[in-house]
Amino acid sequence: MKGRLAIFAAVWCGMAFGSAVAGEKGSASGPSPSLPDDYSCKVCHWKDGELWNQETPTVSESELADDIHWQVGLRCHDCHGGAPSIEDYENHRTDESFHAIASPADIPGFCGRCHSKIEYMRRYTPSARTDQETEYWTSGHGQRLKESLEEKKVDKDVATCVDCHGRHGILAVNDPRSPVYPTHVGETCARCHSDEKRMAGRTYHGRPLGHDQYEQWQQSVHGQALLKKGDLSAPTCNDCHGNHGAVPPGIDSVANACGSCHAKQAELFSEARMKHRFEEIGLPGCVTCHGNHRIVQPTDEMLGMAKSAVCSRCHSPENEQYGAPLAGGEAAAAMRKAMEDLKQQIAEAQAKLAEADRLGMEVSGPRYDLRQAVDALTNARSLIHSFSLDRVQKALKEGLDVATNVNKRAEDALREHTYRRIWLAVSLVPILLVVTLLILYIRTLPIPEPTSPHEADR
Amino acid sequence: MSLAPVSAQGEKASWKQRLKAFFVERLGLEAVQSLAAKKTVPLHRCTPFYFLGGMALFLFLVQIVSGILLALYYKPSPDQAFESVRAIMTEVEFGWLIRSAHSWSANLLIGILFLHLLTTYMMRAYRRPREITWITGVLLLALFMAFGFSGYLLPWNQLAFFATRVGTAIVGVVPGIGHSLLLLARGGEEVTGDTLARFYAIHVVVLPLVTFVVLGIHLYLVQKHGMSIPERELARYGGPERVPSMPFVPHFLLRDIVGWYLALALLAALAALFPWELGEKADPFGAAPEGIKPEWYFLFMYQTLKLLPPYIAGFEGEVLGVLFFGLCGLVVLVVPFLDRGPRSRAVLNGLAAVAVAFFVVMTAWAFFPNPEQKVACIMLGTLLSFVSLTLLVPFADQRTPAYRLLIGLLGLLGLIFVGAAVWELIA
Repeated sequence: MKGRLAIFAAVWCGMAFGSAVAGEKGSASGPSPSLPDDYSCKVCHWKDGELWNQETPTVSESELADDIHWQVGLRCHDCHGGAPSIEDYENHRTDESFHAIASPADIPGFCGRCHSKIEYMRRYTPSARTDQETEYWTSGHGQRLKESLEEKKVDKDVATCVDCHGRHGILAVNDPRSPVYPTHVGETCARCHSDEKRMAGRTYHGRPLGHDQYEQWQQSVHGQALLKKGDLSAPTCNDCHGNHGAVPPGIDSVANACGSCHAKQAELFSEARMKHRFEEIGLPGCVTCHGNHRIVQPTDEMLGMAKSAVCSRCHSPENEQYGAPLAGGEAAAAMRKAMEDLKQQIAEAQAKLAEADRLGMEVSGPRYDLRQAVDALTNARSLIHSFSLDRVQKALKEGLDVATNVNKRAEDALREHTYRRIWLAVSLVPILLVVTLLILYIRTLPIPEPTSPHEADR
Repeated sequence: MSLAPVSAQGEKASWKQRLKAFFVERLGLEAVQSLAAKKTVPLHRCTPFYFLGGMALFLFLVQIVSGILLALYYKPSPDQAFESVRAIMTEVEFGWLIRSAHSWSANLLIGILFLHLLTTYMMRAYRRPREITWITGVLLLALFMAFGFSGYLLPWNQLAFFATRVGTAIVGVVPGIGHSLLLLARGGEEVTGDTLARFYAIHVVVLPLVTFVVLGIHLYLVQKHGMSIPERELARYGGPERVPSMPFVPHFLLRDIVGWYLALALLAALAALFPWELGEKADPFGAAPEGIKPEWYFLFMYQTLKLLPPYIAGFEGEVLGVLFFGLCGLVVLVVPFLDRGPRSRAVLNGLAAVAVAFFVVMTAWAFFPNPEQKVACIMLGTLLSFVSLTLLVPFADQRTPAYRLLIGLLGLLGLIFVGAAVWELIA
């Protein structure tokens, strides 16, 4: 079996002759347009090669043209080893410098020969990372591969470097066409993780892996932001799970994963008693309330004790779970009420400002101030993650004071508009009275007969 | 020796008479008194047009008074201009009224000046020896348009900032001296705080000084040559000495005052019901807001330049547009010298009719560029046309086909306007 695999790998990955350490021979001087005529790999693996036959896998220069390795001047033998010149060619099976890929388990090491060497990598990218291979072996994929190796039955369905990055034609990670570019990461992972057959029976720490994560993520606020709005800062699979060291975040590390973007909420949660309680009863942080892959836009309806509120799932008397105290439910209801009060004040102020604006009153000052109330509301929404009623109410109170003040100023503006109309009417009366009297007086003035001739127009 | 004058009968004069005598003696008011007693205003079908000049003068006085009050609080720097105008609108007692009155009266003034120019042209009041009166009048119109352009930027709001950027860029396309003019107008390559300081100085110092001089000459000439009577009226009455007239004081002056009071009431109503909006503070680095527009009296030029293709016969469209409007201004300025007989007059009248129609259509189009606002555009167009045609009524003899055609047209415009208004209300 081992021998067959070796032959398969030699044929499949082929095109290898050359130096013992492939990478060290790579040239950083720039791309060359084509391979020399006496390049040994072409004989079998170019479609018009002399010894090519139907069973030999082929690679063409056009396939390789966009490959990042090809572009920096690396050629077949730089990765696959073996002699590049036909004169020096030696059979793959006997050539020790040829790097055979006998199974997927060889691939991390194959790529790692260069990518794990900082001395080599910095010739192309001074700040290149070289921990991908190490990380890989700590990932869920790497661990499963290792397990299968130990079981002496290599799990060929486990993802390795080539499953995400491709084989030949590997694009730079910042190339929008790359399968690991942020907008494509989801579908790349989904090639395996949405395959029901492939995922059947697979578990991680005893829990089934499932196969609907991608579908759920697509509907999430993150997926929508990335896929619909093209917001590259929106997280995709690798932002929470890691990329080379991809694993599902553990119960105690979920908040850290979310916190890498939602820092304030994570910090508040880490200081909250609720966090410790969650850990005690084995509930993951953020996802217990927000879900994991299908994280929807959070709304205020999630707070409180109404049926739609997540707090009521545990704190309600009808559905008491995990020993959650009812007092927590009362606190959540109080937070929600204070929040609704502020929202109502802001809405009223906005409506009055809009009306005053429509009437031509200058209200840009109070409108600007109202932003503070909106900011206070946003701040309170974050502070919910502290699970502290006092902190939330204090933030809301600050916003409420501003909104009430703006409301008053908006009412003043509307009142001022009414006064202006009244004073206009009052001032028009004497003006029109004077005009009337003047007209009456003018009518009493006789037009005298012409006495002095006007200067004749010439 | 007593300082108090003694009447012919030897009675001691009252304090009022003594005060009057004091000033008459020292200020030489006898000349003014004599002038006022002798000055008369002809009475004929076009007499209402004589009120337009006085009305413009009154609105200019409103501008001066309200402008001085605004200058007490206005701070001409990019950091403070907007905030100071906002403070005038919201914190200063009656500041809103003063600012709105200033803005509205400026616009009414330009409108009245347009009508004054048009009616003066229609009466051919520029005939010898009043050519210089006409030229100073046209210069005054240009000066007040410059007042409007420079004042528009002063609140330092988004719309004004970007409109000024566009407006000054148009100056820059004048061949040869365009770039120098642009630098002169902006005080640099871009519209900045330097532009604001420059516009403020131009608005409150340079333009008022020039205006006082030109206005002084204009008023002196009006006084010197008296009111011009249209030829048609002269022919109708059989000579200037047979045209009836009324004394300037008090007959015409009182009528003027009625008009001024009504203008004051209109200004108060406009300021109270439609306060001049302030908008948002200018953000030089932000995107240009939608609907950048200059003041209404520049709209016809703005719309034309917008519609011109980039190149016309190998020349830049915008350059040709600017040169065309420059030429139009020059033609208007020298109208008295172009009117050399019935034939040239016919050409001028034809051009004037086209110019008015062009002004009406382009202004209405630019004012409502949105195709959905077609009805509003029609309403504005018919209203402006109605006003323009109304000016022709005194020149048409009643019961003639021309008069009937004119009345018919006015009726038709009125009907279209009312129909459009009803449609707008229903829709």
